[in-house]
Formats: sequence, structure tokens, C-alpha cells
Amino acid sequence: MNKIAITGIGVVTPSGIGKRQFWANIKAGRSFIKEITRFDASKYPAHIAGQIDDLEKYSNLSERLLKKIDAFSHMALVAAELALEDAKIDIKKEDLNLVGIFLGNAIGGWLYAETELRDLYIEGREGVSPYMASAWFPAAPQGQVSIYYGIKGFSKTVVADRASSLMAIGYARTILSKNKLNMILGGGMEAPVTPYALLCCNTYGALSKNNAHPESAYRPFDKKSDGCVIAEGAGIVVMEGLQRVKDRAVPAFAYISGYGTTCDGFDRINPAPGGEQLARAIKMALSDAGIKPEEIDYISLDGLAVDVWDKAEIAAIKSVFGSHSKNIPVSCPKSMFGNLLGASGAVDLIITVLAMEHGLIPPTLNLDEPLDGLNYIRGEAKPYKINKALIISRGRGGINSVLVVEKPQ
Amino acid sequence: METKTRIKDLLVKLLKVKPEELKDDLNLSDSIGVDSTEMVETLIALEKEFGTKLSPKEITKFSTINDIDKVIQSKIAK
Repeated sequence: MNKIAITGIGVVTPSGIGKRQFWANIKAGRSFIKEITRFDASKYPAHIAGQIDDLEKYSNLSERLLKKIDAFSHMALVAAELALEDAKIDIKKEDLNLVGIFLGNAIGGWLYAETELRDLYIEGREGVSPYMASAWFPAAPQGQVSIYYGIKGFSKTVVADRASSLMAIGYARTILSKNKLNMILGGGMEAPVTPYALLCCNTYGALSKNNAHPESAYRPFDKKSDGCVIAEGAGIVVMEGLQRVKDRAVPAFAYISGYGTTCDGFDRINPAPGGEQLARAIKMALSDAGIKPEEIDYISLDGLAVDVWDKAEIAAIKSVFGSHSKNIPVSCPKSMFGNLLGASGAVDLIITVLAMEHGLIPPTLNLDEPLDGLNYIRGEAKPYKINKALIISRGRGGINSVLVVEKPQ
Repeated sequence: METKTRIKDLLVKLLKVKPEELKDDLNLSDSIGVDSTEMVETLIALEKEFGTKLSPKEITKFSTINDIDKVIQSKIAK
């Protein structure tokens, strides 16, 4: 399959909005995980998160639109605008029938939904906003981005738990490879820092309860890990075919050259402990990219910080890369700002692309006693030339999604 | 306060538009791009404001402010 270029980056996270601010914080290894302040979360077993409090500063959206949409659509709209600006694309000049939107989301727009459900039970059906129907569901951001820009090409929202956005990007690459569209806005968004969504994440059981020390709570691949920390945000990239990038005379930040996806088919919640299907997804992605395992210079880890997940990920990497797995630098930078669930893979891709551009591997935080088997970059960023990298994103029950990216030569 | 002023105030508050954007004799769809969902919200708010029942057929996004005023006036008169 053809390589597809990434020409624009739009990122909205607790670590920063816009790639410059985001990268400055990521390369410095700063934590942005804090006690939740949006509502009283003190009675939840886990009540820390990566929260965004200054989105309005970066948004040009009217109050009229904002009252109709959930925060996750707002984040997607800001990320899409940043990505288009970064790619130097004037969307009005595009053939909008040939522009697509491929986004991933896991849980929908719960801040809007739960507010309206509360009104339903208190005030009756007339208390519910008529925008509820179009605000909460996972494909709402795709719809809002398409309306905002007048985009009319083939588009799709992928719902596959935490693997959603990397899967959306993988799918978008397939569509672009077939020359069905000129360009795609690919990525994902998630806004789980709400009372009901936080409750669901708590009952899922994968959250760290280290509320007393938010900055050191999320510790993927550490022997003392007790779960991840949720975060909100969006990551969207502009994806285009190589000829179009050449014609537009703009730089490609990276090429997406391989994609693989499988399911464990094992358990409702947990992955298969041996990581066999993740290993198969990695092999599929490498084969799609036409490269050998030893050509990979960096692996961006999924890192849920739950023992069975982290160990299965290590097992999969060891099974594909063999003894070489001890040499390949790996890291899980989301330990700095939290797990964006359905948007996590897109943000991991963005971090990997920025790491390639700057020749610097961002670290995993809080990795004091690593699980055996991998060459973890921890504590501080490490200068390292990355030509080819692998990104792993996994969803509940063992949904495996793997992307290969390459640095343009 | 006269009915039309109350209708306009309600639209400004509800739809987050500027008062000068509202034209009495232009329909709401053409003048400020009101869509069908916004119209449902407007209908519910008008019912609350004037303590009356309105059917979606009586007031649509193609109604002008003058049209709405007439409907409300007739309801209040009853």
C-alpha cells in the first residue's frame, strides 16, 4: 500500500494546545496530572486526571455553536483548525467532496449527556435540550467538523475503545492509498473528565488510586503500577498523498507506511496474557510497510499501567523483535498527561512524529522499577535519531492497532 | 413590555445573536440561519415565556418575528 504523508498537526491536551507548547512540555518530561477541579470528585476511588482548563483561549467558536456541542466536539474543532493551519491548507480552496474526516472516540460526549439526563429526571422531557440528540454520540465531532468546514467527502468515526483513533488513522490511510480522497483529517478526541464518565472509568477498574500523588500516579511498565489516569483532549493530523504534497510544495513531517490490526478474542476486559494477537498486528504493520523488525528505531507503547496489559505488550514485542527488543528504545509519554482513551493513539502518533522531527525520544515518567524485557527511556528525554517507528494502541478486551511511521529522507 | 420586544429578547438570549441581527419582517432561517433544532428550543422557550401552548406548525423557522408576534398575540387574547 502507498505511503501517506502527515503534513499538519493539531493537538489539544493537558500538556499544551498546539504542537509548539505541547512539545516543549513533553520533551521536558513535565507532568500535568492533577486533582480534578471541574466537579467534586473527592468521593470517587480515583479522582485525578489530565484536565484542560483553557480551551476557550484557543477557540474562535461562537457561543451559539458552543451551547449545542459537547466538550469533545469543541476539542476536535480546535485540533482540526490547528492541523489545517499547520499544513498551510486553506480549506475553502479545496474540493470539499474529496476531503474526508476519520476520527476515533471511545465513550461519547458525556458532560452534555449526563447534564441533560439529570434534567430529564428532574424537569421531565421538556427540560432536555433539543441538541442532546446531536451532541453526545461518538460521531458528533465528525459531524461538527464537517459542518464547520463544509467537508463532504467519505468520512467515518471508529469506536474501538482506546484503539479508536489509531484505527481511524489506519483506515484513513487505506482510503487515501486508493486515491478516493485528496486529503483526510484523521485522529480522535475524548472528554472523560465528567462525573458519569469518571464513574464508568472507575468501575472498569484500570485507574490508579494514588490520589495523594497525582504526578507519580501513572507509571506504565513499573512494578508498582496500579493503573492509568484518564485525560481529555484531541489529536488530529492532516493526511495527504505524496504527489499532492509535492505539488503543494509543503514539508511532510512523516509518512505512514504500515498498519496492522487484530483482536484477541479472549476476554471482555483483559487482553490475552501472551500478547499473541498484538504480535500478529505488529507483524502485519511491518509487513505492510515492507520493513524488517530490526529497522524499527523507536516504539511508542500503549502502557495502560495494569500488570496484565503491560506484560502482554512486552511479550508481544519480545516475540516479534526477539533479542533486538533489548536494543530498541521504547517509551510511554502519555504518563505525563494521562490516557486520552479513544484519542490516545492519535496523540501518541503526534508525539512520535515530533520525536522524529527533533531527534529526541520523550521519556516515560515514574518508571522507577521497570518490568523486565525492554529498553525503556525514562525520566529524561534522550537524543536519538529515529527513521522508522512503531506505535501501539490497544483497546479493552484486546483490540490491537499498530502503525508504522517513517521520517521523510 | 410589548410582546414583540419580549420575543426579540428571548431570541437574543436563547440563540446568542446580536439584537441588530434580528429583522422583524425576515424569516428566522434567512435572517439568522435558524435550523429546525433551534426552532424546537425557541418554541419551548416561547411557551414558557408566554404561558401558552404552541404547535410546531404555528411557528417554524420560516416564520418572521412579526408572524410569531401575531400568533402569540392571538393566543394571549384567548
